[in-house]
Amino acid sequence: MAFLTPFFLLGLSAIAIPVLIHLIQREKKRVIEFPSLMFVRRIPYQSVRRRRIRHWALLLMRAAAIALIVAAFARPFIHQGTVAAAVGGGAREVVILLDQSASMGYGDHWSRARDAARAVVRGLGADDRATLVLFDKNAEENMRATSDRTRLEAAINAAHVGSGATRYGPALKLAESILSRSAIKRREAVLVSDFQRSGWSGSEEVRFPEGMTVSTVSVASPNSANLAVPSVTFARASFSGQERITVTAGLSNKGDEPLKDVPVTLTIDGHEIQTERATVAPHAAGSVTFAQFTLTGPNVRGSVRAGADLLPADNIFHFVLAPSEPVSLAIVDSGDRSDGSLFLSKALSIGTTPTFHVDVASASRVTPTAFDKRAVAVLNDTMFPPAGGGGVLKRFLERGGGLLVVTGDHTTWPPGEAELLPGRLGATVDRTSGRSGSLGYLDYSHPVFEVFKAPRSGDFSAAHVFRYRALQTLPTDRILARFDDGAIAAAERKVGAGRAIVWTSTLDDSWTDIGVKPIFLPLVHQLVRYLAHYEPATSWFTVGQVLDLTARAKGRADKSDRIVVTPSGERISQSSAGEGSEGLLELNEQGVYEVRSSGAAAGRPEAIAVNLEPAESDLASIDPRELVAAVTGHATLVEAQPAQAQEMTREESERRQSLWWYLLMAGLLLLAAETVISNHLSRKERFL
Amino acid sequence: MSVADGGINPQSIRNPQSAIRNPRSEMTSSQALPGARFVDPKILLRVGNLELLARHVVEGFINGLHRAPYFGASIDFAEHRGYVAGDDIRRVDWRVFARTDRFYVKQYEADTNTNVSVLLDVSRSMKFSNRGVPKLEYGCFVGACLAYLAQRQRDRVGLITFDNDIVSHVPPSAKHFNVVLHTMERARPERPGNLPIPLHKMAEHFRRRGILVLISDFYEEPDAVLEAIKPLKFLGNDLIVFHVLDPAEIDFGYEDASSFEDLETGEQIPVVPESLVREYRSMIQAHILALTTKFSEHRIDYTVLNTAEPLDRALFSYLSSRERLMRVR
Repeated sequence: MAFLTPFFLLGLSAIAIPVLIHLIQREKKRVIEFPSLMFVRRIPYQSVRRRRIRHWALLLMRAAAIALIVAAFARPFIHQGTVAAAVGGGAREVVILLDQSASMGYGDHWSRARDAARAVVRGLGADDRATLVLFDKNAEENMRATSDRTRLEAAINAAHVGSGATRYGPALKLAESILSRSAIKRREAVLVSDFQRSGWSGSEEVRFPEGMTVSTVSVASPNSANLAVPSVTFARASFSGQERITVTAGLSNKGDEPLKDVPVTLTIDGHEIQTERATVAPHAAGSVTFAQFTLTGPNVRGSVRAGADLLPADNIFHFVLAPSEPVSLAIVDSGDRSDGSLFLSKALSIGTTPTFHVDVASASRVTPTAFDKRAVAVLNDTMFPPAGGGGVLKRFLERGGGLLVVTGDHTTWPPGEAELLPGRLGATVDRTSGRSGSLGYLDYSHPVFEVFKAPRSGDFSAAHVFRYRALQTLPTDRILARFDDGAIAAAERKVGAGRAIVWTSTLDDSWTDIGVKPIFLPLVHQLVRYLAHYEPATSWFTVGQVLDLTARAKGRADKSDRIVVTPSGERISQSSAGEGSEGLLELNEQGVYEVRSSGAAAGRPEAIAVNLEPAESDLASIDPRELVAAVTGHATLVEAQPAQAQEMTREESERRQSLWWYLLMAGLLLLAAETVISNHLSRKERFL
Repeated sequence: MSVADGGINPQSIRNPQSAIRNPRSEMTSSQALPGARFVDPKILLRVGNLELLARHVVEGFINGLHRAPYFGASIDFAEHRGYVAGDDIRRVDWRVFARTDRFYVKQYEADTNTNVSVLLDVSRSMKFSNRGVPKLEYGCFVGACLAYLAQRQRDRVGLITFDNDIVSHVPPSAKHFNVVLHTMERARPERPGNLPIPLHKMAEHFRRRGILVLISDFYEEPDAVLEAIKPLKFLGNDLIVFHVLDPAEIDFGYEDASSFEDLETGEQIPVVPESLVREYRSMIQAHILALTTKFSEHRIDYTVLNTAEPLDRALFSYLSSRERLMRVR
């Protein structure tokens, strides 16, 4: 035992302070004159002979506390002779960055990577500390800085390959953060990875300061061949009232060798439906189309598996299919002409995503039930249908229906239903004389026109407008389009949960020729999709995406609690009332997630297919030196210094042992205990 | 209360200059008079508009403000009585004679003056002071102010100082006010006190009913105090008792364990104030309560004076309450 600052031991003389205080207090005779002690005499008191120490324990505690505090200031340490640091230059702070992305499942990459990480751990000196960081797209501090090699190796053994994509930026940033916090001078990050090129964009703002080094262990295999199924497309067709799906699987060959007669198998609900043979050229993509099959119901799980290689994770592609639900429309026209809604009905008969189910009726014959279970109602140049009065149309809108009012000569609107129409209709404006009108302004921020925003995505100016109805809107109404003279061409009003849009000209060839222009079909489809609140079904997600199950459940009015079963079998409970992050599901695993409602007795659970990020199939690697140079600013790798035995200095020994801290704490605790005990004693007995 | 808001701090009244330099003071002429500092004009200015009236009938020689037991010349009609030979015929009520055909004489209340004697305890306990005015000095202020009030209303003032015996005696006289102040100035707390002996002697001494102002710290048992005072009351004197206490005697605000010396006996007792302060406070309060109860039972005015309180406030509150009570009676 030695002391770094033995001078402070002089403070041990302070042990005498409690005794001196006792003696001084005894000698000091302070007399206070008081008029009369007649009352004091009546109060029983205990006279104490101060010469006698009554509470030896208290005195010893005080002396011990002072001794401990003085010893702490003297900075003691245990002298260990020529104890040497394991590696030259003293202790190291090491951060092991172990790549666990999906690509590490290639061949023996993962086992080699773990071996490399274990080798780093075994190379740690007795005073070195290491942190294990597992990373893919995100980085996680798996084992905090420790010198315990056993724990580090156990953490490495427990790690497994994930499904995430490779991103080096977060991992390196975390390493830099950990190393910056360390007081140890020698700081090093060891990156063990396959160094996928897709994981490093070069724009990550990671920069290690001077003094921190990055060493790399690459487990990448040269000329690694890899076949992947990066995507699947579906073609839907109706036949005999049933929907038939044609699956086309895309294949990509990242290897240098062509892949011939690769078996590609389509599996639906666990049954192998079809196996096709495919040949894919090196560094090329191909596709396989399977025979049609009938979609029987919702949540049909399917997968396409192509061949077998060293990275099996990307050889399979999962998807979930559900029958497409057609958007149901009711077109109400004046009934004067047999083909009054020909343009509209023809345009809507073409759609596939979604398909449209159109019923046409005249205003005089339509019944209130015609609006039931319809997503959209179109009043095509007609008077206000009597069946829509009495609040029928209003209720239809308020529960989420869409209303498209196409104005024309026949269009009338009763004042009692004015709240449903976005504005007040005026007289017909004739633009037949002179230059005809055209659409001059479109609100491209609106979902209807958003798809036409890009250049050459639809020429609305080609359509000629000869007549239109004037419209006066309220400030709360949204103007979607204007004619070249500034008159309103389209406006929208929200009514309850529903949407109402008025088109102030016709959607046929009577007042305008837009019906024969290429823009007509997508415009009508966009209008109906928007009014119907149509959202295309997603057949699969990518690992790393976050799903808001609460929002999905709201769409189905599902109020019960949920249990999510991950592809690995883990069960996650979610409350239906969960707001914010509680309703979010992070899709971390490849495969099919099942979402079960706790209230549902039977039936197929909702399925969510999750696939690898396609870029993860590209095993092309970068030169680790490139990455290190980008991070450290040094073009060359900093080689580890050869081990060099060096005796620790007294200061270093003391700093590592930090015995003063324990002594100081013990002293303070003793003082606290002494205070409590003495207070207790003084309350208990009255003494002087 | 501070000087600024009309109050007088006892520490400030120790400065005799405040009394001497006041041009409006009636005591300006008594600058050289020993004990004049006890009659602070600021105090008198505050209490001067009150009149010290004897509660009971007191005897007197000349006209004053006090009701006398005799009929005399005043404007307050008392009663009629039958005319006897020798009565001044000017007092015959001729209107009554006209109605009744009998001679009646009108009698009037007689106003008189009285003896006001200040009985001041000068025992050693009265020299106690804890960062403030010593109790004896405070008592001198009280006695001097009351004597001044009495002298101004043409009462005769006297002083008796006592400890365990009578120390000095100034007989009541209209001309003894200056002597009273002089005697107060010379009073020194030198001997232990004992209330019964000097009070019994005084009781034998007083022959005429008057106002007795007793100023002491009453370090005796309440029963003993009352037994000592009773004889003074027997003669029909109007007794006013002031119990002078230092704040330290009331709240015992000491912190360090020390030896406490009894000023009366010289005895020293080691005391840890922290451990007995609660009991001490309850005992002193019980002592004051007992004195209050016993004095009120015997219709003796009893007032506790805290030397930390402004003196004028104490006097003012006492005289005010006394005047109010007089009206009720």
